[in-house]
Amino acid sequence: MFFFNLSLGEFTALFGAVSGAVLALYLLDRSRRKIKVATMRFWKPSEKPPEAKHRRRIQQPWSMLMQIIGMGLLLAAIAQLRLGSPDRSSRDHVLLLDTSAWTGARADPQRRLIDEGKINAIRWLRALPGSDRVMVVRADALPTPATVFETNRSAAEKAILESQPGSSALNLQAAFDFARRMQRQHGQSTGEIVFSGAGRTNQTDLPEDNNLPATLRLLPVQVPNRNVGIRRFHLRRAPNDGQLWEIFVAVRNYGRTPEAVPLIVTFGNAPIGSSRFTIAPGAEETARYEFRTKSAGWMEARIQLRDGLLEDNVALLEIPEQKQVRVAIFTRQPELLRPLMNANPRISAAYALPETYKPDVDADVVIIDRFRPPQKPQRPTVWIAPPAEGSPLAVAKSNTNARITRWRAEHPIAHGLHTLDLKLDGATLFTQSPAAETVAEAEGGSLVSTQSDPPAVFLGVHPGMGSLKFELAAPLLMANVMEWIAPEALRRWELDGERVGTVKVALDANTDPSKVQVIGEDQQPLPFSISENTLQFYSATRGNVRVRAGSRETVYSLSLPDVGDTAWEAPAKVRRGLGRITGVDSPVQDLWPWLALLGAALLLAEWLLFGRLRLPVRGAANFLSRFTSFRRAA
Amino acid sequence: MPEPLIDQKFLERLERLTLHWQKSFPGLVGGHNASRYPGSGQEFLDHRGFHQGDDLRAVNWRAYMRLEKLILKLFQVEPRVPVRILLDTSASMTTGDPAKFDYARKLAASLTYVGLVRLETILIQPFDATLHDPYNCGGGRHRIRPAVDFLEALKPGGRSNFAPALRNFIAEYPQRGLVIVISDFLDDQSCEKPIQYLADFGHELFIIHLWGDEDRKPSHNGELELEDAETGESVKLNFDDEARAAYVEAFDNYARSIREITMRKGGRYIGLSTATPIEQAIFGSFLEAKGMQ
Repeated sequence: MFFFNLSLGEFTALFGAVSGAVLALYLLDRSRRKIKVATMRFWKPSEKPPEAKHRRRIQQPWSMLMQIIGMGLLLAAIAQLRLGSPDRSSRDHVLLLDTSAWTGARADPQRRLIDEGKINAIRWLRALPGSDRVMVVRADALPTPATVFETNRSAAEKAILESQPGSSALNLQAAFDFARRMQRQHGQSTGEIVFSGAGRTNQTDLPEDNNLPATLRLLPVQVPNRNVGIRRFHLRRAPNDGQLWEIFVAVRNYGRTPEAVPLIVTFGNAPIGSSRFTIAPGAEETARYEFRTKSAGWMEARIQLRDGLLEDNVALLEIPEQKQVRVAIFTRQPELLRPLMNANPRISAAYALPETYKPDVDADVVIIDRFRPPQKPQRPTVWIAPPAEGSPLAVAKSNTNARITRWRAEHPIAHGLHTLDLKLDGATLFTQSPAAETVAEAEGGSLVSTQSDPPAVFLGVHPGMGSLKFELAAPLLMANVMEWIAPEALRRWELDGERVGTVKVALDANTDPSKVQVIGEDQQPLPFSISENTLQFYSATRGNVRVRAGSRETVYSLSLPDVGDTAWEAPAKVRRGLGRITGVDSPVQDLWPWLALLGAALLLAEWLLFGRLRLPVRGAANFLSRFTSFRRAA
Repeated sequence: MPEPLIDQKFLERLERLTLHWQKSFPGLVGGHNASRYPGSGQEFLDHRGFHQGDDLRAVNWRAYMRLEKLILKLFQVEPRVPVRILLDTSASMTTGDPAKFDYARKLAASLTYVGLVRLETILIQPFDATLHDPYNCGGGRHRIRPAVDFLEALKPGGRSNFAPALRNFIAEYPQRGLVIVISDFLDDQSCEKPIQYLADFGHELFIIHLWGDEDRKPSHNGELELEDAETGESVKLNFDDEARAAYVEAFDNYARSIREITMRKGGRYIGLSTATPIEQAIFGSFLEAKGMQ
């Protein structure tokens, strides 16, 4: 027998204080007693003065005793008096329920691995002593507590039953570390760490055998023997052909026997390629296909095999439409710009004379070549050597010889341009002002400037004329101008079907880290890190993640479950199954409800017998008095 | 559910009792003696000719069929000694454990049943400083239920004042009879004189003086704050054993004075503590005092 909330000394001190207070209040009761009487005619006050203390002795010992015992019982209830040994009192257990993607597999057609794990977990939970506290933790890549440490078994069972397989692989080491940390931080008396699940994890997340929790218990489940799954599904445009897609599919055999795997890739339900290869246990094979299309649609890779986990047999990617940038060019010399425009297959250029100019021309970009339109265009515009009169940007000098002195390298248009000291005849120099951003400077003004709202680029020199015509800088300048003014349309796309979890992206060598964005399914930026030109981010949920790095955008469709590549083999010393749980044989019994009831009943009885209510139980009080007299006489 | 005033088993025990009085009242009979006065009785007395205004229900229709004359049947009146129970309903009757008022109602119900069994006419008259609506019953034991209902419906309250109440009673009921007064007689004014006046008027008195144990001998000691149940006034005083002894003596003297007046006027007096069970009171004190036989 022991106190759960108080030590014996604390209880004795409190009980003594309460008893003393009750006794003192009883003896020092100076309150004037109010009595309702039938008449005042016989009442005469005592001739003696009132005594300082009204009670010098206990007049109703039974009442006093009942009060003190009642208080003591209530105090014992608050202190949670328990039967049993203190070392078998409440312990804190952590139940790690495997909710990794692998638990969605089926060892038999009727039941998933997680269902078996739940059953085992609930059996273990019900075998625990009622006073033990349990924290339920859902373990996949990140251990997530589903409950706090509590004795409420129904809440714990509810949390177990509500658990579903996730999409990420199990990080067993992190789960054990988390459980130990929770027990240290919140636990009163360390209990077991119970792992219920399949235990398939990645090689890097395996726990060390000599660092396992001492109180670890495993509730293993039967795992399927065979599983083959798609590890990666990657699409990218061929570098030289905008309509050609290169497709890579990686397939892994997780089972213990070689598997003949039929793989088929379809686009809009039309097969575009198929393979059949035999994969050794634990090995991975990659298939490559090519496919040409301009249209948007869904591309699917599918393994036609019935194995343990069906979720990783299919990967799906959405191919966006190949969008063309329509450029309306108003010029008298289209032959000068045609080679520059034709260099990019995603640009569709339409040439027209300046007389046919319309401000609301149906195009994505307008190029105005050396003339002054009556009205400004309503689209993003590239102005080539505009006349001094009527130029949207103030002209400092026109038709002058100029020499490029500086490229503003921080501007995207100047990206990769380093040509200096180039002599340019008949150039137009713009006045530098805060309204425009200078890209290239010459002596006496700006040679290339931009405005953001509305987007406009001002070129002081024609890229297809003069000495610039023979420079490599001309097509690069024009390509940069078009990418800056129509970034969405000219962005390079890659599509990657990946597994949920950590994704690594190889960046181009000269990628500016400050220009990199990682955007999740909800259009919110995701945290990432860049190390040695490799970007790394993590997502525990399925969905699309976009990685933008300059003009390149990669869409990661995280639709494949991350199945661990290694099955953890626990050392033999680790306890398995339900077995004998400490404390079950001689469980600690909670007495506080009974003590509280008894104490309250005793105080109620005292009030009924001796209090002001004085119900017709006076007989009982008389009996008690007679009993006292009898005992005294005896 | 409240406790019934009187239960069936106790009623059966009461059936063998009879209300007893000592006086002879002129023109009235008690018990089972018949009278020769015509009136609204049950027993046939005589015939007479029908006059306008007579009750048609009393016409002898057989005689009419034979004689073609309206002849009226006359019945003999039964002028019995009236038994009247004066029940104190003042607020002071609510004190005690059990309350004196409940005890008094049980006593009144028992006496009423005893009277009804012997075909007496019983009047229950509640009073405090004035007389309240009475209840009159007679005609046999089966009339006890309405009387009990009447008693159960009574609510205590008000200040007691015997002088005006008994004066009104004498004015209201000039016919002499047996008057049973059930009260704690805790009137701030003296109630000896009104009792004496009632007896002098010619009524035979049967005084039932009720008290609670706390009324006669308060158990509390120390500094007390007393609240008068009737007036609501409060008094603070110090009370000890000596004061208690003086209290008991004063109370006993008062009870003795009521008893002496009652006995001197030929009546009977019973002093009862509410701690006494009703059965013990009826079959003990009442028989000893010859209030019943």
